[in-house]
Amino acid sequence: MNDETKKKINERYERELNKGERFWPDSIFKDLVVSLGIFILLIVLATFVGISPEAKADPSDTSYIPRPEWYFLFLFKFLALYGQIPLLGKIEWIATVAIPGIAIGVLTLLPFIDKSPNRYYGKRVLPISIMAIMVTGIVLLTLLSEVPTVSEDGSKLLGILQAIAGLAIPVITMILLFLMSFVFKQTTTRVMVWTTSLAAVSMILVSGTVLALHPRPVVEETEVAVTLVDQIFAGQDLYSIHCTECHGDDGSVAEIKGVEGLEGEKITPINSHDVLYTITDSAMYEVIAYGRPNAGMTPFGKAYGGELTKSEIDYIVTYIRYMWDDRFEIPAEALKPLFPPLAKGEVPSYEVHIQPIVKRYCISCHRAGKENNNYLMASYEEILTTGDNVANNIIAGDENSSLLQVIQEHEIMNPEKTDEVLIGVMPPNRALKPNIVDVFIRWIMNGMPQTAVEAAELFVAPTATP
Amino acid sequence: MWKKAFEWLDERLGLKDIYTNLLDRPEPTGNWWNTLGSASMFLFVMQGLTGIFLTVYYTPSPDHAYDSVQYIMEGVAFGWLIRGIHHWGATLMVIVVFIHLLRVFVTASFKFPRELTWLIGIGLFLATLGMGFTGYLLPWNQKAYWATTVGTQIAGSVPFIGEFILKVLRGGPELSALTLQRFFSAHIWMLPAVLAGLMGIHLFLIIKHGESHFPTKED
Repeated sequence: MNDETKKKINERYERELNKGERFWPDSIFKDLVVSLGIFILLIVLATFVGISPEAKADPSDTSYIPRPEWYFLFLFKFLALYGQIPLLGKIEWIATVAIPGIAIGVLTLLPFIDKSPNRYYGKRVLPISIMAIMVTGIVLLTLLSEVPTVSEDGSKLLGILQAIAGLAIPVITMILLFLMSFVFKQTTTRVMVWTTSLAAVSMILVSGTVLALHPRPVVEETEVAVTLVDQIFAGQDLYSIHCTECHGDDGSVAEIKGVEGLEGEKITPINSHDVLYTITDSAMYEVIAYGRPNAGMTPFGKAYGGELTKSEIDYIVTYIRYMWDDRFEIPAEALKPLFPPLAKGEVPSYEVHIQPIVKRYCISCHRAGKENNNYLMASYEEILTTGDNVANNIIAGDENSSLLQVIQEHEIMNPEKTDEVLIGVMPPNRALKPNIVDVFIRWIMNGMPQTAVEAAELFVAPTATP
Repeated sequence: MWKKAFEWLDERLGLKDIYTNLLDRPEPTGNWWNTLGSASMFLFVMQGLTGIFLTVYYTPSPDHAYDSVQYIMEGVAFGWLIRGIHHWGATLMVIVVFIHLLRVFVTASFKFPRELTWLIGIGLFLATLGMGFTGYLLPWNQKAYWATTVGTQIAGSVPFIGEFILKVLRGGPELSALTLQRFFSAHIWMLPAVLAGLMGIHLFLIIKHGESHFPTKED
């Protein structure tokens, strides 16, 4: 750039200054208004949208689908689309390093690449068009980041459409724009603007089609207990599933009963002072995570082959502390009853009464993968229709139903071999409280209603019960 | 009384000179697009202030990071607000800085005599992204852990020196306590220092050359 041009630019700027405004107060005023607006926006976002809770980092949980920060999502998507290109797609660093590197390099050196003094939009159609295509692409790739390149049924249609919108159209348009600028120099501004607009619109349309073809999957809500009460509840549920089998629902078991391979094993009750006062939270965490191989306790942490994530083990530790350690005061809300107490003649339902009871006392053994005569209790249907002894297990209105017998501490004997126990008492280690047994009796005697509505209908005519 | 105090200060600080040189400058007629730079700076200051408050409780170790963030959210008075502002401020800052970049590009404000301002501005943009990248790991939750695993992996795909970069970023072959410690250090010391320094030069250059005017057919 020669001195004459520089002089012209400076003179032009002087003229603008003379008919302009003052930095203070004119410009500063606008700046302050915008900053105040942003401040209010931040407070509104922090208060009403907040931050969605996430579980603790767990390096062993390889099933977690990693996603980068939202402003890098477009790069991630670009990488996935680029990977579809035959041959070239195998050379990963072209997409991860070379192309972004070149893009940032061009952006950085822009003042030295575009040396013409022209500033008016109409004289800079090429750079503005390229930037428009790039920004449209970035926005669209960000929006498409949820859509997989190969659908569940193996069809590659979505991937191809995405590659058209996110790679093919932009690249072809840019080549066309360069050709128009440098080879066919007589091309008018109007044609270039039309080309760009057309390309942008078709990118948007193709991406829109992809989004329409692939309805956003229901985002799996990851349950993250945030408050102490939620953590205690989460811990209680997890304890009921994983620990009740051996330690009992209240942690008082000193001799394991009814567990395959550990029958009669002597253990220290985990609700005792000995355990609670001598084992710290982190030690308790580690016992749950590693297990105690010598005492027959298997590892529960995912890192060691178990099922529990770090957060989940933390919840169990919190539950044990607040429930049984007398140095901790459990919040009153965490002590809500398992089910609403029954009035005289009231009929319990599966959803209000049976489900929470089963979850607390039975599911630990009566779930897939455990020794339980194939009797699973995870749902209403399973409770009624599974098990080796399903025929006699639950019979509406029959108090000799096996289930009712065993929870009232009567063993069921094998009818063919009278000295062999077919079904032991349940739960094996400790009898259920009378009010819980009562719930089961009333439920089965009244035909096992599933919903609260069905149960309420039975309540209207209590005389119908035998 | 006030006048006397002002005069005393003016003699020593040169307040009137600051006013005439810094504030009472002529500017070309601007519009609302010109506020994006100051908005970015405002967001940087907000991030700085809320970030400083967060370090009071935050512990950068894998054992305690998650719990300390939980504690900020649940136990500390208005901790949720401070962290909320920091969280959303980060998102807004990336958006605002990017739109600011686009505005400068579209009006060609990077041309003579403001080339250096543009170079510094790109540095600021990259440093902002770096702040986002390093800050994302700090809560040590699943999202953070895996996003950083993937992010560092991508940085590690550079031919020849990729393995070295990966090692520098992670402080070892895997994400560990060292990674968290160095991301924390980069997030609260290195990158803010870079940002603040570059911002100083950026502002100096803007005052020196004045804001560019919006181009017309003449330009």
